Amino acid sequence: MAARKETQNPAFYALIAALVIMSVGPIALMLATSFKTNVDVYDASVPAFFFSPTIKNYETVLCNFLWYEPVHVEYCDPTFGRALNNSLIVGLISTGLTLTIGCMAAYALVRFKFMGRGTVSMTTLLMRMVPPAVLLVPVFGIWTFQFGLDQTYAGIILIYTAMNLPFVIWILQSFIVQVPIQLEEAARMDGANPFQVFFLVVLPIIQPGLAAAAIFTFRIAWNEFLLANALSGRSTRTVPVTIVNSITEYDIDWGVIMATGMLLAIPPILFTFVASKQIITGMTAGAVKG
Amino acid sequence: MPRIRLDNLVKRYGDFEVLHGIDLEMEENEFTVLVGPSGCGKSTTLRMIAGLETVSDGEIYIGDRPVSQLEPKARDLAMVFQDYALYPHMNVAKNMSFALRLQRRPRKEIDEKVGAVAEMLGLTNFLHRKPGELSGGQRQRVAMGRALTRDAGTFLFDEPLSNLDAKLRGQMRAELALMRQKVRKNMIYVTHDQIEAMTLGDRIVVMNGGYIQQQGTPEELFKRPANKFVAGFLGSPPMNFLDAEIQSLGGQVIVSGDGFEIALPEEKAATASGHTASSIILGLRPSDLHYSPDAPEHEAIDLKVIVSEYIGAQSVLLCHCGAQKIEVELKSETPIALGETLRFAVNREAIHMFDRETEVAIR
Repeated sequence: MAARKETQNPAFYALIAALVIMSVGPIALMLATSFKTNVDVYDASVPAFFFSPTIKNYETVLCNFLWYEPVHVEYCDPTFGRALNNSLIVGLISTGLTLTIGCMAAYALVRFKFMGRGTVSMTTLLMRMVPPAVLLVPVFGIWTFQFGLDQTYAGIILIYTAMNLPFVIWILQSFIVQVPIQLEEAARMDGANPFQVFFLVVLPIIQPGLAAAAIFTFRIAWNEFLLANALSGRSTRTVPVTIVNSITEYDIDWGVIMATGMLLAIPPILFTFVASKQIITGMTAGAVKG
Repeated sequence: MPRIRLDNLVKRYGDFEVLHGIDLEMEENEFTVLVGPSGCGKSTTLRMIAGLETVSDGEIYIGDRPVSQLEPKARDLAMVFQDYALYPHMNVAKNMSFALRLQRRPRKEIDEKVGAVAEMLGLTNFLHRKPGELSGGQRQRVAMGRALTRDAGTFLFDEPLSNLDAKLRGQMRAELALMRQKVRKNMIYVTHDQIEAMTLGDRIVVMNGGYIQQQGTPEELFKRPANKFVAGFLGSPPMNFLDAEIQSLGGQVIVSGDGFEIALPEEKAATASGHTASSIILGLRPSDLHYSPDAPEHEAIDLKVIVSEYIGAQSVLLCHCGAQKIEVELKSETPIALGETLRFAVNREAIHMFDRETEVAIR
């Protein structure tokens, strides 16, 4: 069989190359910069990629996690390390909370018959259409003056959970619909109570959906800046906020910022790899006759 | 094992009534088959017994206990579903032991039971496979094994073989019959396939339109159908129905219609002449017509052969009797030609008669 014509067109490869450079380029530049000293960053005579690398920036960022004291660090600033920690706490807890509530809500919306089910199902998604910037002011006001949740983990985690729930409910609904009702009936005949039906039969089957939803929520919670900037305090700041805050009028330490950026990228990548392992197509294969 | 009794069971969806008061008693350890065309209410009845559908009216008794308000798990039932409904994330052993694990039975007991059932169904080598890695027949066996492991008092089967291909269905039917010999429990089996019903059932309940049409042993239903529906539903190829008139002619009672005239034997003649209306429907099974060129006039029927369907040892002939169509079963080696008009002797003892208005059997 002859190969298809258009794949041999050089313009096609040029286009692909351009796209690859566009997407990988900034990351490569960030990676390169994170291994440069601050002097090298500002020095036009030092090329972008070919220079003598240093891990000083990473040492600076991770100084309070290291088992040795880096020579060049005079004062160990724990901000970045703490921010990474904060981001992990906020990301993981809000993801867990969103999934727990989301899967139950989605199940109820799909399987239980109650008045206004369709409306509820629709309006959950409508909530998603409100931009976070619109929420910012009222949420800040309520969190701060009504509940005193400002500058706490709980405040940020709650708003992330609320923000991500609609989408998670929506995505899980489409997975739960596909679980054959006979499976639930079979489980009931086998003597399972409603909770056992849900946790032992339905949840394992919608695992791919949970994984997809988890990747989505974790990524959003991890990257979110606007709300975190307003709601977090000194000790609860997440990494995106910390990075921006480190740009001051006196000094911009690009090397350290880039190193933080690289570190910021690692957890979501790991998380995605682990979670996407769960996304196996054809989970219900063999359950019922197609 | 307890008797199961349905007392005036009614199912409504809103204003729409699908089951109109079903009364049924199943003896202990009986294999009852509910059979009927699609939408006749047989699956609904089964699901109501199972507890998967609510009961609109009436009551279900298992033993002496009314169960219509109980959860499925409190009814001591096991069910095999039409499309298997195996838990896709568990292997065969886990599927079969699910109910026992929910009951928190000791590990050893679970392993023993699963082992014994797997042995019986020939699943021992597949215990660690997932349902997705099994063939249709194996999945069906796992579904059956899951029910058997339960050790419940009553087994419910909801069209368990309807998803299998014809050959496998025959095989599984035989396996079911074999399993039936080993497991003496109440079994209620729903099917639309009259062959399954005839071969498996101790008692057959024919349903149509939300009513029970007739119940009894397979032989009773085949030989003495209560109405035209039951007569036409059981038996393959199905019974022929011909519009006919009853006449008394020279001391004989004759049923005649478009293209035929048959004298009734004495006993049938008596019942026929006792019937008020003279217009009836005559029922003749294809197997009760025999090719016989020199049969006497009033004991035979002349048919023009239109189509011959060869199925092996037997052939089914589609014939014209006057303007009406009629099917005849006959040995394939019989020399016949299409378009010929042939004489078939009628097994007059096996003639069925139905009232034309009510379609109830005249007997």
